[in-house]
Amino acid sequence: MPIGGFVINVDPERIEESLVRLKGLAGVEIHGSDSKGNVVAVLESATSEDMEKMVKDIMKIETVFSVGLTYFHAEDEVEKKEYRKK
Amino acid sequence: MGLSRREFIKRTAALTAASYVGMNLPFTNEKTVHAADADSWHKGTCRLCGSGCRLELGVKNGRAVALRGIPESRTNKGYLCMKGMLFYKLMGNNHPERLKKPLYRARKDQPFKEISWDEALDIAAKEFAKAVKKYGNDSVAYYGSGQALTEETYIFQKVMRGGLQTNNVEGNPRLCMASAVGGYITSFGADEPIGSYTNFERASCFFIIGSNTAEAHPVLFRRIMRRKLDNRDRVKVINADPRVSPTSRIADLHLQFEPGTDLALLNAMAYVILEDKLYDEDFINNYAVFRMGKEKKQVDFKKYKEFIKDYTPEKAARTCGGNITPEKIRKAAHWFAKSEGTMSLWTMGINQRKRGVWANNLIHNLHILTGQLCKPGADSFSLTGQPNACGGVREGGGLCHILPAHRLVKKDKLRHEVERLWGIPEGRIPPKPGYHTVAMFEAVNQGKIKAIWINCTSPAQSLPNCDKYRKGMKREDVFMVVTDIFPTKTTELANLILPTAFIFEKTGVYGCTERRSQLTAKAVDAPGEAKPEVWMVREWALRLAKELKDPVIKKCVEPFLGKEPDYELPKAIWDEYTQKLTKGRDNDLRGATYEVLEKLPDGVQWPAPTKEWALKGGTDIKFVRGLDPLADKHAKNELPFQFYGPAHPDRKLWIWLRPQKGPEEMPDSQYPFYLSTGRIIDHWHTSSMTGRIKELMRANPYAYVEINPKDAEKLGIKPGDMVEVVSRRGRNVLPAKVYVGPCEGMVFVYWHDQDEDRMINRVTKDAFDPGSKEPEFKICACRIKKVSGPKPLTPFLVQLKA
Repeated sequence: MPIGGFVINVDPERIEESLVRLKGLAGVEIHGSDSKGNVVAVLESATSEDMEKMVKDIMKIETVFSVGLTYFHAEDEVEKKEYRKK
Repeated sequence: MGLSRREFIKRTAALTAASYVGMNLPFTNEKTVHAADADSWHKGTCRLCGSGCRLELGVKNGRAVALRGIPESRTNKGYLCMKGMLFYKLMGNNHPERLKKPLYRARKDQPFKEISWDEALDIAAKEFAKAVKKYGNDSVAYYGSGQALTEETYIFQKVMRGGLQTNNVEGNPRLCMASAVGGYITSFGADEPIGSYTNFERASCFFIIGSNTAEAHPVLFRRIMRRKLDNRDRVKVINADPRVSPTSRIADLHLQFEPGTDLALLNAMAYVILEDKLYDEDFINNYAVFRMGKEKKQVDFKKYKEFIKDYTPEKAARTCGGNITPEKIRKAAHWFAKSEGTMSLWTMGINQRKRGVWANNLIHNLHILTGQLCKPGADSFSLTGQPNACGGVREGGGLCHILPAHRLVKKDKLRHEVERLWGIPEGRIPPKPGYHTVAMFEAVNQGKIKAIWINCTSPAQSLPNCDKYRKGMKREDVFMVVTDIFPTKTTELANLILPTAFIFEKTGVYGCTERRSQLTAKAVDAPGEAKPEVWMVREWALRLAKELKDPVIKKCVEPFLGKEPDYELPKAIWDEYTQKLTKGRDNDLRGATYEVLEKLPDGVQWPAPTKEWALKGGTDIKFVRGLDPLADKHAKNELPFQFYGPAHPDRKLWIWLRPQKGPEEMPDSQYPFYLSTGRIIDHWHTSSMTGRIKELMRANPYAYVEINPKDAEKLGIKPGDMVEVVSRRGRNVLPAKVYVGPCEGMVFVYWHDQDEDRMINRVTKDAFDPGSKEPEFKICACRIKKVSGPKPLTPFLVQLKA
């Protein structure tokens, strides 16, 4: 199960509203936000494909300007693939 | 306290993200004892655009398992995009479809057979030698890539020019940034931008024209967006584009002009700058001259004023159509001229034009007129599409008319200098430039080129009007070697496919958009028998020397004999290139040794003549005394800026008189629409890599045609309908996306699809800029028609026919 650390940039004038929307998405953990509209989030998903979908869903929120990845871990997925191959 | 491993990784993810924005979280991972999230972390550069984002690859048990950005990096400040997030999936044994063995067939209608490297290199050498002996040196060619490492481009072109005595050395940057090269050289006297990404945080006005930065350079766009959001009232963003794109989201002003009217718009902005006296007279007097025509005739300011009289905002608004009004042009010109620092940004929308060089000149004109150069936030900055188009191809000698370190082939002195530095006889490199890209594949069509090595690119899909050029590549009397990591539309036409190592599976340098060279060292093994290109070229050259009984060919690779290929060999090549070839040139990289590059989180911006200077990161802004060591060295007077570029002996910036010129092909009654082409965030170019990442492929499984809702209504086209896009050259059938993106009368198609029905370069036109020879991918005429309702489609990728 991949895990990603993200800084999501939201409209600084609509932070609260953005946080409500973000918290409503499954697999999104919000760890903090600041007055500039930076939101620190951890995304967890079953596959990296699901994670990409989550990122797209976040991008669809109109108060979100960008979703920046800072850390991505997918060892389980790589190992699973190796296991399947064997 | 106990913490599961998973919780540990999640905390690491949160802490990493929080550290980027200086946020404190109520926990740390310091005291937890757990297996680390990776065995080792390896610094390198993302490969999937020209931004040069730095990251660390996490390796566990020899496999790539994790990625994290490098926050200290001056390119991306640690941020990555989705393409960057997933590209580790292509590495090592992570991907089952990687090419792993050399494959050969004598005839192109036969299936491929696996062969050994010895056999493969023997065949490649024999075929090239045969062509040279029978048809002469110019019957062989190399077609490379802005994705090849600098070491690779450098050694390929050395063997071709010094060894095989031909300048038939080209690369796909001809297709994306040759016009930017032409623009920089003719306006500023030197290739590549004056400033750096640091201007993103200093600019007060962004003028983004012909670039969908949000999708094509998302991490750089983040910096622009941050700057705008943190300074909403002070910072203005102007987006000029015939298409509304995600980049327009943050724009204060969107100038939607009809395709091919950009030159009129830019001249009209200059008109306003003159009329309203917004120009910087001192800057012009000190640093600029006015020029016109092929003969570069110098004229005076009065003549320029007369020329620009024809571009009143009222007249230009009529020419430009779209949403352009005289008021918008005036507003844009005022914001541009009056801001504390204006940064222009563009990519293919400006470069891939019949008059791409002129369009570049006219952007530079605005900066010269207003003195928006060489000061914080002021820059005329061309963004690059590929990770090493600048470093490898522009600087390393990867185009038919240039030798390493910005030397022109046709200049005897510079050519002989290179021969001397290589220790080969004078006269060995022919004085005539080779074929530029379109001409090279035309020569393949005509059977003039008998053997060609295509490295790390897929011209069968990426050339405009590609069916025309695939005919030549299919010829049985043209021997084709193709090096790549996956099967592509071009490997389908090869005789010999050589599997290469991918980034992080080999060592070398990429030079990104902002003159910055960055090293990526090997971190994981390449799959199967895939090898680094530098090894292939060295071994091939030794065989060529024997076949042609020519010791000079061997001499070209002599300094590299016996070197281990994963690190020592590329290092020796980099050393030769930087220490010998760049010495005393404007891209002096002598300070940027592997040792220095390894010490830095990112890399070094040239000029960097010494290690001391390189260790500070190199030169942030060129031409400024006190900031650029070469500006001090070459100073001829007391002025703060010294434009010492090699192409302008008068040491001046040139303001050009360039009239409006439309595209080569205009819509008419038969083909009434403009067709434009471009990228989508999930895919890159021909999707030879991004298509192999299933997450990215499923997110955007096929290309579609974007149609303005008003046009769709007129033609009875609904979202998802299958639509035929036909030009004088070819036809595609794609699903429709009805969308207020393109302006009325224009459709837009994505580039990435490998399916024959959805490969848009079968439709585009191969007209090219007479100066830069860059094709006009962005504009041609087409007609569209609904052929059916929505149909289920399947994604397509080339599979190997073995």
